[in-house]
Amino acid sequence: MTSINRRDFFKFVGAGGAGAGAGYLYAELVKRPQELLVPQVVPPEDYSPGLATWYNTVCNQCSGGCGISVRIREGEAKKIEGNPVHPVNQGRLCALGQSGLNALYNPDRLKTPLRNNNEGRFQGIEWEEAIDELAQKLNESRARRQSDRVQLLTGNIRGHVNGLIGHFMEWVGVASHMQYDFTRPANLYEANQLTFGQSMLPYYDIRNTHYLLSFGADYLGTWLSPVHNSLGYGHLRQGQTEKRGTCIQVEPRMSLSGANADEWLPAVPGSEGSLALGIANVIANGHYTGADQAEWANALTTYTPSNIARLTGISEVDIERIAEEFFTNASLAIAGGAATAGTEGVATHIAVNALNYLAGNIGQKGGVIFNSDPGFAQTSTFEHANYQQMITLAEKMKNNEVDILILHDTNPIFSMPSSSNFQEAMENVPLVVALSGFMDETTAMADLILPTDNYLESWGDDVPEPAVGFSVASISQPVVSRLYDTRSLGDILIDTARMMGTEVSWDSTEAYIQDVWSRIYAQQGGDPSGFDNFWRSALEAGVWGQETASTNQGSTVKPFPVNQLSDVSNKLEGDESEYPFVLHPYLTLTFLDGRGANLPWQQELPDPLTSVVYNSWVELNPGTAVELGVKEGDVLEVTSPSGTIRAPAFIYEAIRPDVVAMPIGQGHEQYGRYAEQRGVNPIDLVVPNFDQRSGALAWAGTRVKILKTGERVLLIKTDGITRTLGRQILGPSEAEHG
Amino acid sequence: MSVLDTIRKYREAGYYKEFDYHWGMTVDLDRCTGCEACVVACQAENNLPIVGESSFAQRREIKWMRIERYWEGEYPNAKLNFIPMFCQQCDEAPCETACPVFATYHNQDGLNTQIYNRCIGTRTCAVYCPYEVRYFNWFTYTWDEPLERQLNPDVSVREKGVMEKCTFCIQRIRQAKDLAKDDDRRKVRDGEVTPACAQSCPTEALVFGDLNDPESRVSKMANDPRGYQVLEEQNTSPSVVYLQKVHGDEEAI
Amino acid sequence: MLSVHNRPPKIQAIAKQEFREGVRVNVSVLEALKPLRKSALLGIIGIVGIVVGLKINAAYSTHLKPVQPIEFSHRIHAGENQIECLYCHSSADRSPSAGVPSVAKCVGCHERIATVRDSAEIAKLNAYWQAQEPIPWIKVHDVPDFVHFTHKRHVLAGLECQQCHGPVETMDRIERVADLTMPWCTDCHTLNQTDNGLDCYTCHK
Ligand code: SF4
Ligand code: SF4
Ligand code: SF4
Repeated sequence: MTSINRRDFFKFVGAGGAGAGAGYLYAELVKRPQELLVPQVVPPEDYSPGLATWYNTVCNQCSGGCGISVRIREGEAKKIEGNPVHPVNQGRLCALGQSGLNALYNPDRLKTPLRNNNEGRFQGIEWEEAIDELAQKLNESRARRQSDRVQLLTGNIRGHVNGLIGHFMEWVGVASHMQYDFTRPANLYEANQLTFGQSMLPYYDIRNTHYLLSFGADYLGTWLSPVHNSLGYGHLRQGQTEKRGTCIQVEPRMSLSGANADEWLPAVPGSEGSLALGIANVIANGHYTGADQAEWANALTTYTPSNIARLTGISEVDIERIAEEFFTNASLAIAGGAATAGTEGVATHIAVNALNYLAGNIGQKGGVIFNSDPGFAQTSTFEHANYQQMITLAEKMKNNEVDILILHDTNPIFSMPSSSNFQEAMENVPLVVALSGFMDETTAMADLILPTDNYLESWGDDVPEPAVGFSVASISQPVVSRLYDTRSLGDILIDTARMMGTEVSWDSTEAYIQDVWSRIYAQQGGDPSGFDNFWRSALEAGVWGQETASTNQGSTVKPFPVNQLSDVSNKLEGDESEYPFVLHPYLTLTFLDGRGANLPWQQELPDPLTSVVYNSWVELNPGTAVELGVKEGDVLEVTSPSGTIRAPAFIYEAIRPDVVAMPIGQGHEQYGRYAEQRGVNPIDLVVPNFDQRSGALAWAGTRVKILKTGERVLLIKTDGITRTLGRQILGPSEAEHG
Repeated sequence: MSVLDTIRKYREAGYYKEFDYHWGMTVDLDRCTGCEACVVACQAENNLPIVGESSFAQRREIKWMRIERYWEGEYPNAKLNFIPMFCQQCDEAPCETACPVFATYHNQDGLNTQIYNRCIGTRTCAVYCPYEVRYFNWFTYTWDEPLERQLNPDVSVREKGVMEKCTFCIQRIRQAKDLAKDDDRRKVRDGEVTPACAQSCPTEALVFGDLNDPESRVSKMANDPRGYQVLEEQNTSPSVVYLQKVHGDEEAI
Repeated sequence: MLSVHNRPPKIQAIAKQEFREGVRVNVSVLEALKPLRKSALLGIIGIVGIVVGLKINAAYSTHLKPVQPIEFSHRIHAGENQIECLYCHSSADRSPSAGVPSVAKCVGCHERIATVRDSAEIAKLNAYWQAQEPIPWIKVHDVPDFVHFTHKRHVLAGLECQQCHGPVETMDRIERVADLTMPWCTDCHTLNQTDNGLDCYTCHK
C-alpha cells in the first residue's frame, strides 16, 4: 500500500471537489431552460388555453370591404382568414389582407404620443399632455371663430366613424374634413354621376358575365374589390354551366388581369377610351336597335373602325369582331387603372359606360347592377378630396390660411407628386397633429403625433362599396387587446372634445357605434328589447345583411345622356421627341399605393408578374431593351419633365415598345425598417395634371426618357427560366401552345 | 385511364397494408390567377421565416408554396401562365429514398413527411426532388419583436440546418381527425380539412381532400379530362393533380 | 484512442511479448500498474466526485422538482381535500393543454376558507391578486416545441392523470416522475396499439 502524504491528500480532496463541481455544473448545463407556466389573472369568459377562438371583423388594408376572421390563441392574433359568411369575400382573402398581422405586430408601430422638439427629433409625452395641447389650440381657434382655419385630412374612412367625426367637427369647430385616398376611383364616381345620375359604384357582375371587356382595370389585382372579383372570375371560367366566360384586356402593359385574359390588346396608352367608342360605333351602326339608335350613330360618326385602328394600333378586324362578340354575348365592360388615370379619365369611363348601355348590360345579370340603398343613409360631413382640392389645400397652407392640420392615416407626401410641394406647404402650418399608426412621410412632418390603434384593435363599421347586390353592413371590433398605449381615432376625438369642455354622451367609439346600430335597428322595426341579442349575433357573424332586389334589375333603363360623350384622347405631358416613352405607373397587389411596404410578408412576396422582391424596377419591352443595349439589372435613369429617378431595368415580355412601366409602392423615406430606403416612387415623375371634370390626378399621362447609367445591380427575383422549354409543366397539350 | 387510375395503380404496391387516407389536391389552372394569396396564407400558417433581402439574393428564400411563371410567344402575342408549385406529396417520392435518417418517409395517410427533429440537414432530398419544393434553413431566422407573437403554436419553428417543405398543413389534418374522434368517427368527412392555401384562394382553384374516397370533391375534380401531373414522366406519382388551362381558342370543356 | 504504442513502456513490453509469443504470460497487471496507483486513485476520486455532484444537483437544484413561487401542495388539495384534477386543470379534457387555474380561481376559493386565510403561502397568493399579477409557476412537465402533445386525447382515451404525472395527490411539491422521452411515449403507444401511434406525424409538428 502506498502511503498517502499530505500533498497527495490535498490532491485527492481537490480532485473530488473539482469532480463534484464539474458534475453539478454539467447537470445545470444540460438542463432545458425552465419554462414558466403563467396563468391568467382573470381569464376572459371565452378563454381556453390551447384552443383557438375566431373573431370576425373587417379588413382595412384596402377599400374592398372584405370581412375577416382572426384566429386568436392565448390572446394573440395568429392568422387572418376571410369571414366565410361575409358576402364580399366568402371566406377568401388576398395577400395584403392576410399580411394585416404584420401591421398589428409591426416592430415600428408608434407606441406613445410624441412631440416634435423642433430639431427634427420626437420626444415621448403623456396622453393627457398631448390631448391638452390639441384641445388648447382648438379652443383658441374656436374663440377666434376660425373654424375654417382648421383642416381635418384623413384617409378613406367608411361607416359611422364618419358620423362621430361630424359630431366632433360641430363640437370643436372644424369646418372641413377631407378624405384623400390615392386608390379611390374618383373618375368612375364622376362618370357614373354624369351618366347614371348616381355617384356610386354599381355592382359589376363579373361572376355571371360571359364576356368581360376590361380597359386597363386590373380587377384581379387592385381594382375595387379584388377578392370579390377573383371569386367572380373563378366562376366565370369554370363555374358557369352555359359557357366558359371570355376575358379581353386592353392595356399597354400586361397586368395580372391581362395575364389571365384570353386576349391582351396593347392599345396605344391613352387611347383606350377611343377604342371603346370605336367599338361603340360598330355596335351602334350594325347591331344596336334601340330608340336612340340614330342619336348614337350620329354622336359616334368620327369613331369609325379605320380611324380608331389608326389611333389605337388595334386592327379594324379586331375592333369589329370584339364589337360583335360584345353585343351578342351577355357582356360587361369595365375600366380602371392607368386607362382612366389620364386627363380624360372621366370621358373614358363614360365611353365604357356607353358600351354597357349599348349592349344592354345595365341592370342585367352579368352586367352592371345598381345596388339598392343600404338603408344606412347618413349625412356626410366630409368630402373626398381629389388632387385639385389637395393642391388648393397646399396653397392655403402655403398662404398661412391653415392654423391646425389634423391628419389621420393618409400619406399625401408619398402619394402626390413631389412637384405638388405639399410637404413644403405643410411646414407653414403652425400645428400639425398626426393621428397615425406608423411614422410615414406625412406623419414625420407633424408637431404632435397621437398613435392610433391598429384596425384589429378598434371599433367601427362598414358598408362595403361596391356592395354585392343587396344591403350589407359589417362591424369591426377589436380582436386583440391593445398592444401599446394607443387610442382609436374616435376615442381621441371624444377625449379632445371633452377636454375642451364639450358634453359628449358617448364614452368611446364602441358606445357610439352601438348607439347608431341600435337606432338603425329600431328604424328597421326591431323590438328594442331584442337589440342586445341582435348586437351579439351581429358581432359574432361580423356582418349583417338583408337580401333585397336590386333596384335596377329588370326595370327600364334610363336613356343614356349621349351628349356626355366627349373627346377621349388623353393628353400626354412632355414632348415626344425629347421624351420618347410613356410612363406607365401601376398599383401592385403587394403594396397598393405604398401602404403595404412596411409589411415584411409583402416585401418578401414575389411580384406576381416579375417575381421581383424588395425593390423597384423599370419594365422595358425586349425589343426596346435590345435597341438601347439594356440588360436586366442595368440601372436606368428615368427622366420626366418634372423629375428624375433611378431604378434597375427589368425586361418584360408583354409591354408596348414605347412604354416603360414602374410599380408604385416602394421608395419610402420613412415608414419603418421594412420600407425605408428601398426602391423609388414613380409618382415623383408624374407631371401634376388633372382630369378637368373630376379634378383627379392624371398619374398616367407623363412621358419620360431613359438613360443607361452604366451601373448594374442584382435584381432579386425568384424566377429562373420562365419558358417551359418543351417540358410538359403546363400540361400534355401545352407543347402546341408553347 | 384517368390520372386518378394511374395514381391508384401505384398505390396497390405500397408498403402499408391499408391506407387510411390518400390526401391529395387538385389545382385548376383555369381558375388560378397567380394572385399569390395562397403564398402568404402558407407563410402565415406554417411559420415560414422572413429571410431578409440578402438571403433572398442568395436564393435562400423559403416559400413552401410558390407561383411559377411561364411565358409563351413574343410581344404582342406574349402569354403568361401561372402554376402554383408546392410539394406534390409523391407516392413514389424520390426524396424519401435519399434521406439517410428517415426524416422524410411516407406515412399511412399518403403524406410525404418531414420530421424536423430527425433531419440532420444533408440536403440530399432537395437534390432528389424534381419539383424543387424543398427549402433549407441556412440560418436560424428570427422575428423582429413583436412579430413573433403571430407564430402559429401548432407548427414548429425550424432552426438552422433543417429541411422543410409543404406538409399539406398536417396540423389542420390532425385537428380534423381530433374532432372526428370526438364524434366517434374514425375518419374525417370530405371538406373537414382545408389547408391554408386552399382556404385563402380567391378563385377556389385549389381543392383538397381524400383521393381514396371516390365520392370526395377532390377525386371528382381529379377525374376531369383536363387533369395531368407535372413531370409525369419522372414516375414520382404525385398526389397533386393539375387541371390544364383552357385556352380561349379551344372549346370549353 | 489508446494504441499499444502510447501505453506505459512496461505494459507495452508485456503486451508485445504476449503478442509475439501468442501465449498467456502470467504477469500481474496490478503489479505493472503499481506506479500508477496514485493517479488512478485520483481519477477514481474525481469520477466519484462527478457522480456526487450530479446527485447533489438532482437533489437540490432539480428541474424535476423545482421550488415554486408558492409552496402549493397537491397533497392537501388533491389528496386530503379530494378536489378533482379537472376542477383546476379544467381544459385537460377538451384542449391540448390542461391549463393552470387563474389567480382569480385560487382566490375565489381561498377567500372562503377561513382556517388557512392567514398562512404565509396564502399571503403570497393574496399579494399576487392585489397586484393583479399572474403567478410565475415553473413548468415541470415540458415537452419540446417540435412535439404536439394533446391532453384531450389522452384524457378521453381514459388514461388516469397519475399514469404520466405520478401520484400527484401525495406530493407536497410537484415532481416529475415520468421520463417524457420519445421511447417513453412510444412504449406506451405500442403497448396500447394506439391508432397510428408510431407514425412520426402523429406527434411531430
Ligand atoms: S391563391 Fe389561388 S388563384 Fe391565387 S395564386 Fe394561389 S392558387 Fe392561384
Ligand atoms: S414533390 Fe419533391 S419533396 Fe415532395 S414528395 Fe415529391 S420528391 Fe418529395
Ligand atoms: S398545403 Fe399547407 S403547407 Fe402545403 S402549400 Fe398549402 S398551406 Fe402550405
